[in-house]
Amino acid sequence: MDPSALAYLGAGLGAGLVALGAGLGIGLLAGPAMEGSARQPEAAGDIRTSMIIAAALIEGVALFGLVICIILAIK
Amino acid sequence: MVSPRVVLASDEEGGFDALHHSANAYYLDFAPFGKMELPRIFVVQREDGSYGLELFRSTTSAIRTGHFTVELVKDTHEEAAEDLLGESIGQGESAPVHQEQVVHAEAEGDGHAADSGKLTLAELEGHLLAPNGGHIVLDLSISRHLFFAWIAMGIVLFLMTRLAGMYKRGIGRSTAPRGLFQNLFETIILFVRDEIARPNLGDKANKYLPYLLTAFFFILTSNLLGLVPFGATATSNLMVTVVLATFTFILTQLGGTKDYWMHIFWPPGIPTFVKPILMPVELLGIFTKPIALAIRLFANMTAGHLVILSLIGLIFSFASLFGSGAGFGVAPVSVAFALFVYMLELLVSLIQAYVFTMLSALFISMAIQEHHHDHDEAHHGDEHVSAHTEAISA
Repeated sequence: MDPSALAYLGAGLGAGLVALGAGLGIGLLAGPAMEGSARQPEAAGDIRTSMIIAAALIEGVALFGLVICIILAIK
Repeated sequence: MVSPRVVLASDEEGGFDALHHSANAYYLDFAPFGKMELPRIFVVQREDGSYGLELFRSTTSAIRTGHFTVELVKDTHEEAAEDLLGESIGQGESAPVHQEQVVHAEAEGDGHAADSGKLTLAELEGHLLAPNGGHIVLDLSISRHLFFAWIAMGIVLFLMTRLAGMYKRGIGRSTAPRGLFQNLFETIILFVRDEIARPNLGDKANKYLPYLLTAFFFILTSNLLGLVPFGATATSNLMVTVVLATFTFILTQLGGTKDYWMHIFWPPGIPTFVKPILMPVELLGIFTKPIALAIRLFANMTAGHLVILSLIGLIFSFASLFGSGAGFGVAPVSVAFALFVYMLELLVSLIQAYVFTMLSALFISMAIQEHHHDHDEAHHGDEHVSAHTEAISA
């Protein structure tokens, strides 16, 4: 097999795994946050802020993975 | 699996190559009506070693005056597509048809270049080479993304100076805000102040508020300009977002207190033998935070456009695979999905402007905080939270 085919395969699989990980992370985060703000609507603002910060950090890691996938794919 | 690439490669003028369309270039694309080339500016080192500045009205004039020659770069994915094409000939019945398309498109492109003075797309995108053995030291050419960054700056400057003028005259301070314009922007500005700056920065909020507001409105305007017809997203260029993140980085380091630097170089409260391990990690952390900030904005703004363009490209993939009937059949679904993603992008434009500002405020606040060690900390934290909830309920 052509080695570049493996690189494309790796990039595609990597992008999928990145999406899986980020989705799982943000899902685990958002569920309890929703529950929390439904239970205590007066704390909704605080919960939203800290949720977005944590989500952004998770997303940051995912984006690093994604960038590697893009580099693999366009090389 | 093969054919979408072939479609991308065969497509010379129509432009369904998603990556190519959201990438930077030296012309403004008014798609069915034509292109407007932007000025090219070069700092050139000549053969004898002297430096010179070369100015051209457009890429066309740079090449047609015989000064610069263009080096046609062959796209890597075009090559890959041709490789795949070569392998698939004889396997599938449709392969020869695709090959014909490629050849046809290339022939058309050449003819186009020969009979008119205009450049082909490949020439417009190619690398320019300096004349007589010299080389280009600096390419200061005005690109599409730079142009749209300037438009965004102009819009923000115009709106904000007008708004500031209104407050200076006392409208909105001694009276209620007047009119749609002021009411709209006061809401957004107060949101940035009360939801982003004050909860994070506390009493130092006013010092950093001008930067946060400028970053917020510039990013928001840039993001939204990409959704306007013929527009381009300046923030989908990594260089623009890196510059924005650099401002945050500089402000963070300048605002850093003694505690901030101590936490990096000699973190307190942990065994001494761990400290040398933690120091490089913390040092790296200084840089990864703004890099993540830049890449996040860039990736979010690029991804939305790529998804829209890929959905539109599906129509043409289907048309070339199964005939034009399938193309017409897929079109309504594709357009509906593209519209949905477009709406999502509107939301993402706002969210990313918010996230960038929010995280900038957070990183700055982490650096400027005066830490109280020992038992003080818990007490201080309580005070902070209660002050915050008061601010929200007020």
